Amino acid sequence: MVSSLPLPPTQRTLDTGVLTSEAPSPAPVISKERTEPPPSPKEIAIPEKITKPIKTADKPTPTPPKHVQPVTPPPTKAVTGETAGIRIAQATMELKNGTASVSVEDRTFGERFAYYVNIVNSKVAQNWYTAEADPKASLGKSTTIVFDINREGVPENVRVETRSGSPTLDLSAMRAVQRVDGFGPLPQGNRITVEYTFHLHPQ
Amino acid sequence: MSSLKRTSLIRRAGLYCFGPIPVLFTVLFAMVSTLHAQEGFKTETSSGVTNIRIAVADFKPLSTDPQTASLKTTFDATLYSDLANAGIFDIVSKSLLPQSTPGSPADISLQQWAAPPSSAAMVAFGSFAIQSDKIVCSGYLFDAKNLQYPQVLAKQYTDVVTEDAARQIAHRFADEIIFRLSGGSQGIAETKIYYVKIAGPDKEIWEMDYDGANQHAITHLGTVSLSPRIAPDNSRLAFSSLGRDGFQIRMYSLILGRMVNFSSTGGTNLSPAWAPNGKDLAFSSSRTGDPEIWITDVNGSLARRITSFRGPDVSPVFNPRTGSQIAWISGRTGLPQLYIMDTDGSAVQRMTDGGYATSPSWSPNGQFLAFAWDRKYGPGAPGGQDIYVMEIATKRWIQLTHDTGRCDFPSWSPDGRHIVYANTADGKAAHMKIWTMLADGTQKRALTGAGGDMPNWSWK
Repeated sequence: MVSSLPLPPTQRTLDTGVLTSEAPSPAPVISKERTEPPPSPKEIAIPEKITKPIKTADKPTPTPPKHVQPVTPPPTKAVTGETAGIRIAQATMELKNGTASVSVEDRTFGERFAYYVNIVNSKVAQNWYTAEADPKASLGKSTTIVFDINREGVPENVRVETRSGSPTLDLSAMRAVQRVDGFGPLPQGNRITVEYTFHLHPQ
Repeated sequence: MSSLKRTSLIRRAGLYCFGPIPVLFTVLFAMVSTLHAQEGFKTETSSGVTNIRIAVADFKPLSTDPQTASLKTTFDATLYSDLANAGIFDIVSKSLLPQSTPGSPADISLQQWAAPPSSAAMVAFGSFAIQSDKIVCSGYLFDAKNLQYPQVLAKQYTDVVTEDAARQIAHRFADEIIFRLSGGSQGIAETKIYYVKIAGPDKEIWEMDYDGANQHAITHLGTVSLSPRIAPDNSRLAFSSLGRDGFQIRMYSLILGRMVNFSSTGGTNLSPAWAPNGKDLAFSSSRTGDPEIWITDVNGSLARRITSFRGPDVSPVFNPRTGSQIAWISGRTGLPQLYIMDTDGSAVQRMTDGGYATSPSWSPNGQFLAFAWDRKYGPGAPGGQDIYVMEIATKRWIQLTHDTGRCDFPSWSPDGRHIVYANTADGKAAHMKIWTMLADGTQKRALTGAGGDMPNWSWK
């Protein structure tokens, strides 16, 4: 049920398990004040004989010889593939932008509004419950879903483009898109079409 | 073009995960220029999704006015805490940010912000100046990974030179960022919380910003006023106040800044609730001798009774999504329980199966009820009173607070991601404090000191 709260979860699961502890909060404890009895004379310990602690001389640590640190040259290539999911998407787009074949005139929505593509990517991914797909039939397969996003940012016309061969994976992917209420109004244009591929890989 | 990423299912607090099947996904982005003669893009995924990592730079002071520094400090702190409290971002700690303070798009070097240690996906920055007795503030939101077209948002704000205006500008800019990056849900940085302030024998209605700043009194009635409820259009405040005729519903106009008329009747009248259309008010009235739920218009006329069972019926709250249902607390079977019904009194449904339930609050999307509940009430099996959230369709619930003392009066934020509530650690009513948390029970923090009670979050 937590997963249906409108907060971003890390990975959604089917939550048919136990939701909370069966034990409620304990009632506030109100304890009576008690008077401490006076100590008996035997309870006062006789102080031990004070002995001086043995001093040990500090060992001088040798100072390491000073080395000149090698200077690493800055990388000449774009850094990719070393960070979390969201960065990969953007880094990939950076790569795309960096290639000479893409000219500025030929810009597409995805390049201009990369942040919006990322929102679409992460919102659908958050709503994909991988536990809905039967692991036996679905592992290693991928399905492609196509949908439109209208001006208000609501996904429409969700349909399967490429079937994976596992009906449960197709259905879980469809449901992931259908669960999204909206991605926020489109920054430009009235309608865009999105092709979304879901992979389920074994480890 | 593609890259592999290992993720493992993360065990969430309070939830059992479904089998420890770690999944491995390929993430790949590709662009198609045209698809069905429309603009479109192609994307591939997924899972192990992280929140958007956002860095908030200190804004650049552009004027030498002596007030600039202190107002800018307020602005920076407010913007940072607004985005940190939104519940949808990973915010980069200020100590990890680059040393530079970019003031305009020409100043910023995005690679610096995208690189570790800040590793930001988004950067909010801008300039702050006082020009001819006005604050002039330019705010930008840049996509740190898209070097070709980085700009997501550019805003300019002008306002009077006060501490409060600087905070309001920060709230407005934060709400814009949240609106763009959360997928179209409105931010709550400009919302208010109305609450009861306990001052000696009196209880007055107070107002504060959603983050606990700017606390100030609304009423000065010199009596006991309870359960403030703000109208959906923020124009009026309904509450229950002890007067010559006992507890009556009173109405305060925030536009006129004074009390306005609301017909008083016999009996004890408690806990008003606004219909989402702002035209009806439901409350508990014992004018017939037994506390029942009544609905009137905003002047207290056209009263009609909608419950008719023996036993108290109190604390009504409308379904804010539809306005056609009411949740309330009824003691018709003994201990108070949570019920829902239609606004004509039909289709009564009991939601809790035992214990002692109080103070419901309906979530803005209509899907959940938050309420205070003591599941093991009574002698022999004492329990504490905590905040719970119940999904109405399934009647499944989760417990949000645990072992922090008595919790009561939950109220949803308009984005449905936060809940404000009152808590007293030692059980004493005078030590009641107002707290806020995310709707899954995380990120709890106190908004007021001792003496704040019965919070109510504004509708927008």
